[in-house]
Amino acid sequence: MKQIKHQRLETISDNALMLKVKNGDIDKMGLLYERYNRQLYRFLFNMTRQKELSEDMVQNIFLRMLKYPDGFMGFGEFKTWMYHIARNAVYDHFRKVKRTPAHYDLTNLEERIEGDQNSDARLEKEQELKTLETALDKLTDENRELLILCRFQELKYHEIAKILNTTEGAIKVRVHRALNQLKTNYLKIEN
Amino acid sequence: MECKDYRDQFTALLTDSIHQKERNEIENHLAGCAACREDFEAARKIWDLMGEIPQPEPSPSMRTSFEVMLNNFKEETVVKRNPVGEWINRLREYWSLQAQPRLAFSLLLVAAGLIGGYLLHQPGQSAISYNKQIDTLTSQVSQMKEVMMLTLLNDPSASQRMRAVSYTDEISSVDLKVIGALFTTLNGDPNVNVRLATLDALVKLADEPKVREGLVRSIDLQESPLMQTAIADAMVKLQEKSSVEPLQKLLGKKGLNQMVKVNIEKSIQKLI
Repeated sequence: MKQIKHQRLETISDNALMLKVKNGDIDKMGLLYERYNRQLYRFLFNMTRQKELSEDMVQNIFLRMLKYPDGFMGFGEFKTWMYHIARNAVYDHFRKVKRTPAHYDLTNLEERIEGDQNSDARLEKEQELKTLETALDKLTDENRELLILCRFQELKYHEIAKILNTTEGAIKVRVHRALNQLKTNYLKIEN
Repeated sequence: MECKDYRDQFTALLTDSIHQKERNEIENHLAGCAACREDFEAARKIWDLMGEIPQPEPSPSMRTSFEVMLNNFKEETVVKRNPVGEWINRLREYWSLQAQPRLAFSLLLVAAGLIGGYLLHQPGQSAISYNKQIDTLTSQVSQMKEVMMLTLLNDPSASQRMRAVSYTDEISSVDLKVIGALFTTLNGDPNVNVRLATLDALVKLADEPKVREGLVRSIDLQESPLMQTAIADAMVKLQEKSSVEPLQKLLGKKGLNQMVKVNIEKSIQKLI
């Protein structure tokens, strides 16, 4: 019985769950949290590069969805609505701190790369990634966001288009330009 | 298509956002164009390298604080949303815990006290409405008695007819229908006691001129000595001078009781 219920809950769509939350079944937000907390955290981390700040933002975004559930009309996808709120949080933060160029926490990056501590391959990869992150950091916020949504969040063009309120064709062109810019930045740093 | 057009499609190729037909065309071009191939490889290197950037996991404390936040929010909304509803729920809880009849009884007592207090607080109003009700009831009872009287006067039993006559006292406003019925009884009832009672009843109604007239006319119609004496006494009591003539006429009647004759003569003397 419990298993059946569990299966049933897993197959309920994001939208159905959020409508339940809207109607006062607040516990259902827990299921949406299960589905999206990692994805959301990574989006925020890639945008801000700050772990604690990103975790706080995740809480604030879920709290915001609880407090203002009327923003979710049920026509569009829950995910789109969630990204709208997340983007607002990120850009609010950027405006507040007048973002200085993000510094890569090198130790942090080193910790994150797997492999033998001192092998040549590891050091080489580490260098490449460091360069790439610097190149990413030199992009405009908008271009960086496009590549994060596309590459790290693995969203499709049509999904990104909904989040950014534009057309799929426009996204296709903009992602291409952003990647070209990243490539240019990377080559510039490497040489 | 020129090289530039193909290059514009490179990212779409990497993100797997193009149709198979277009993909084939681009791959065919890449096979034959070294410059484009180099450009595409550079893009792919960056793309692949991006995939190698380690993605962090949120710390376990994030989940804990989410759960705390969710619970806090739930409690807040319950309190904020409906304090009245909360109270009702508490009452329901209390209700289910207590012995229900006892609680119901005490609530009933409180309600009775409230209603009583309310009534006492407005004595004037309630007294007026109370009197109104009494008046209505009284007139209804009187109407019922009238109907009952008229019915009972035709009853074969003499005692029932006596009862009917006695109701005359209790009817508040005696109308012509009742008076007519009484005279019919007075002049035609086979039982002398009923007739006597009817006479008493009619004497009480003698303020009405029609009743006096009827009584005077009735003198001539009475055969029973008891009735003749009684009606003569009644005429004296009422000081009805117009009754002298019919009384003298009665004196001339054949076979009149001697005692009655004396009585009538006395009555006539008192009336003149």
